Amino acid sequence: MTELRLIGGTALAEPVEAEVAQPLRLPPGRHGIPADLVRAHQRQRLLEAATAALAEQGYGRLTATRVTELAGVSSRTFYQHFEDLWACLLAAYENEAGLLSAEIERACAALVEARGPLAEADRRGRAHAGIAAGLDHLAARPAVARLLSAEPPPQIAPLAAARRDLIERLGAMLRSVLTDPAGATPLPGLERRLIGAALALISTRAASGDPQRLRELEPELSELLLASL
Amino acid sequence: MEGVLAACGELGFRETSVRTILERSGGHRAQFYQHFESKEDCFAQAYAVWIDRLCVNLLEVAATTPGWEAGMREAIVRLFQFVSARPAISRALFVEVQIAGEPAIARHEAAVERLAAAIDGARAGIDPEEAPPDATGIFVVGGIEACVGEALSAGDPGRVWDALPELMHFAAGSYFGKEAAEGAFERASIFLTRERARLTGVAE
Repeated sequence: MTELRLIGGTALAEPVEAEVAQPLRLPPGRHGIPADLVRAHQRQRLLEAATAALAEQGYGRLTATRVTELAGVSSRTFYQHFEDLWACLLAAYENEAGLLSAEIERACAALVEARGPLAEADRRGRAHAGIAAGLDHLAARPAVARLLSAEPPPQIAPLAAARRDLIERLGAMLRSVLTDPAGATPLPGLERRLIGAALALISTRAASGDPQRLRELEPELSELLLASL
Repeated sequence: MEGVLAACGELGFRETSVRTILERSGGHRAQFYQHFESKEDCFAQAYAVWIDRLCVNLLEVAATTPGWEAGMREAIVRLFQFVSARPAISRALFVEVQIAGEPAIARHEAAVERLAAAIDGARAGIDPEEAPPDATGIFVVGGIEACVGEALSAGDPGRVWDALPELMHFAAGSYFGKEAAEGAFERASIFLTRERARLTGVAE
């Protein structure tokens, strides 16, 4: 039986170029692999290709054609999965935003389990752990870092909304790890400003094409996110 | 040059073609390509002219206002007045620039660094032992820009004014910590309540 290698859900672990050179495909023709598995595999490949195409072309030049080329599927297959380019990119965005949030939550939770109830210093430690985990996750996946941090065209409303949701979600996480339940509530919109600024910084670093520059951001970004909270 | 920014600000960079730009500015295709390599190049050149003008304006306001906090606040006020008065150009400068390709991105980064260097004047009042990270200036500029971009993307540039106290909290806090942030927030809230009608009146 043909070996079936599904790509993991965490997307591009290698630089974009390597991913382009060796697209992981199912063998063409009759292979006895169930149709729904083939479809799931195609979809996953399209999401990863959309992420890679965005890193390569930017929002200004991005095309569905490039996505299908990178995924190694026909344009007919593309439109069987997605209504248009933006629907595909939105699915990729939501998928990756979920993975990033889960990674940060995992890192924060692990620290709580290890240390028990939290004092103020521990709360900051937990925030540090979350920020470090988030940046590590993105540094290992530069194309994902660009997808999640770059500002999409505001005309593509669902995509712009997905980015706002991510900002809200990360802001809420920042607030919940830091806030002492007995203490005063911090300024309502402040986390949004902080996360917006962090994404701008990440976007610039990610666009530089050097993942190391993203990883190096960790101590600085932690300090900046926590300075005024 | 204003034509390309106004078109991109109104229609979006992706939706704006060279033809659209020519329809608005009234030139010929051949002339366009004598001056510019592409739509990206045209946008980037127009962006450079406008962002330079705006930066000079903001830096002047900050430099002529005594004290870091007041200078920062006055510069943000001037920025908000520009955004309220020229929403289409502002959308091009703060939103569409992000998707307008490498030439514009490079000029955007240069402008951010220039403003960040000026904001970094805050360091003069900080004990070197407690100096904030190198990236603080860029972080603060990015946060302000994101806030402006959010209001413009939502089609409601007037709402940036509500964010003034919050942005002052964010900027002062990034350099001086929580206590200074809360003070800056208070002072900006009082300032906004007192001056809002006059400031927004100027813009309209």
